[in-house]
Amino acid sequence: MHVEFLGVSRERAGVAELHVEADTLGRLVAALAAQTPGLAELIVVDRLHPSLAANLNGDRFISDPATPLGDDDRVLILSADVGG
Amino acid sequence: MPFGYHGRYLRIDVSRPSTSLAAALSKVEGRGSVERVPLEETVLRQFIGGSGLGVRLLLDEGTASLDPLDPRAPLIFAFSPLVGSPLTTSAKFAVVSKSPLTDRINDSLASSGFAIAGKSCGCDAFVIVGRAPELSVLIIEDGDVRVEPAAECAGMTCEETGAHYRSRLGVDFRIATIGPAGENGVRYATISHDGRHAGRGGSGAVMGAKNIKAIAVRGTQRPEWADRREVIAISKDLSHRSFGPATAKYRELGTATNLLTFNRFGALPTRNFQSGEFDQAGNLSVEQLTATRSKTRGSCATCTIGCEHIYSVGDGSVRLEYESLFALGSLCGVGDADVVLRAVQRCDELGLDTISTGGTIAFAMECVERGWLEAPWLTFGSGDALLRAIDLIGWREGLGDLLAEGSRRSAVAIGHNSIAIAPQVKGLEIPGYEPRALQTMALGFAVGARGADHNRSGAYEVDFSDKVDRRNVTLEAVRHAIDTEDRAALMDSLILCKFLRGVLEDFHGETAAMLRSVTGWDVTAAELRDTAARIVAAKQEFNRLAGWTPAEDTLPERFLDTPLPNDRSASLSRARLDALVAEYHRQRGW
Ligand code: SF4
Repeated sequence: MHVEFLGVSRERAGVAELHVEADTLGRLVAALAAQTPGLAELIVVDRLHPSLAANLNGDRFISDPATPLGDDDRVLILSADVGG
Repeated sequence: MPFGYHGRYLRIDVSRPSTSLAAALSKVEGRGSVERVPLEETVLRQFIGGSGLGVRLLLDEGTASLDPLDPRAPLIFAFSPLVGSPLTTSAKFAVVSKSPLTDRINDSLASSGFAIAGKSCGCDAFVIVGRAPELSVLIIEDGDVRVEPAAECAGMTCEETGAHYRSRLGVDFRIATIGPAGENGVRYATISHDGRHAGRGGSGAVMGAKNIKAIAVRGTQRPEWADRREVIAISKDLSHRSFGPATAKYRELGTATNLLTFNRFGALPTRNFQSGEFDQAGNLSVEQLTATRSKTRGSCATCTIGCEHIYSVGDGSVRLEYESLFALGSLCGVGDADVVLRAVQRCDELGLDTISTGGTIAFAMECVERGWLEAPWLTFGSGDALLRAIDLIGWREGLGDLLAEGSRRSAVAIGHNSIAIAPQVKGLEIPGYEPRALQTMALGFAVGARGADHNRSGAYEVDFSDKVDRRNVTLEAVRHAIDTEDRAALMDSLILCKFLRGVLEDFHGETAAMLRSVTGWDVTAAELRDTAARIVAAKQEFNRLAGWTPAEDTLPERFLDTPLPNDRSASLSRARLDALVAEYHRQRGW
């Protein structure tokens, strides 16, 4: 599926988007830690650090590593603390 | 008296110039020019400091029904027990008054050396009443208070005024000032200090109504802490953690990075909330801003986070936050980054709240578009129009005289039921969160004691989580909204910067430990939960005395029963908002 980075996660990943093969959120996050060293500090095994949030297709926010993902999904990784 | 406090406040009547505190000490019982009023320990423990203490002192003044610009209406600067400690982000002060924009409570916070120097004057708050006979500066120096003419500063910008008094009085004086907007009674004028602003709700207009252009403070009195070693140990630990991932966003990019995120979620207020998407958002992104101009970082006194991202513009520079970027950018349809930076800079110079300035101008632009207002030059997307309108507002010239009243009063004057599209709650212009797409935040805006506000309700955080469905919230959202409001009240009273909140893993437990170490009180997490609710209730009590009715806890018609054009699933019915507000009132016991 496509991963879209916003804010700090984009800065750390060094790209705006990535294509990653993973069938759950936990596997996706673990793959990101391996592929994007800049993001590793913000990932704890298969979970995002609480300062980051994951959103599925611009609709619902997801945090359970077991959340299933499909090939056509877009996962957005953004700062959990979005306020100003 | 507990540690961390002086146990008194100064009540200063600026109607009587050239007074000295030493001469006035004999008048403690009466209402002399300067009174040194004792503060009971129970009051301090119940309201802590900052917003909480300020609201309590404002209630004690018994002036809720007065016009906020009446000379008798108090303007309160409140410090906190943590000010002066090495706890990161604690150098803050609250400015509390009745708002000339909303006629409800207003508590604005600002940072830096003024908080430390003000508290070093030997008091926990200044309560300022009266009206000086001419434009004046209030000088508070340890044991002396005096009011001196300041005619030479008439019309000066905030920065010029600060520089003038640092040069005249000494660089160790800390100066809070108003700009031309405060002098001219713009209802959303700020009080500025070192480039930071007590921004929302018009405290600058209240100071201007007292004929006070600047307040200069310097002092040497520092209260002891109960457990010095513990204060230092907690401070070190907190500072260490403040360098971690929880604050990375603020350090690395600043709040301006929110703009693209909100745009991606279709929640970026655009062209006076007619859309949640801005086609020129990319021009205003941090990436674009940094690619084309130099940037430096800075921080408030005692802060280890350093969220200030200062961009060059023209011959100068400007600190940029998301709220200013959205309000003077997408909300007005302006996608030229240079223009937006200049607009922010001009607001800072004039002493204008950027959110209310942008909100009011965007509202006027839509009124022009609809043919309700005769000002053909004022069109969405026009940078020249934006900059011209800001100057007219700051000086209250031409159309600016109307817009200086804010969007709610302007709508009443314009007619055509334009109040339906005025982007405000209780008169305070809505910050950069589209309520239909972020419905817990919509509730936070509707019930906010000072009006639509993202600093008194952090409910947007709930919308950006898996706790709610942000476009279809249920009554479950109410307890989350209450929780974020209570936490904000506590942080604003301790006072700690909200950008530290992600660092605190046990929010109430850790803040209780900080307060214990400074004051020596056996305060617990449970007590702080009660304290937070008490402070929110005190604000509500002030509003009730000022004429609040439940009907004003709502949103403008624009947001109700009409989907967001760019996201039809983002729709908030009046019935749902009413149910959320009623449940909020029920849970609050109002
Ligand atoms: S995080 Fe930013 S606003 Fe908060 S105290 Fe530090 S510099 Fe000031």
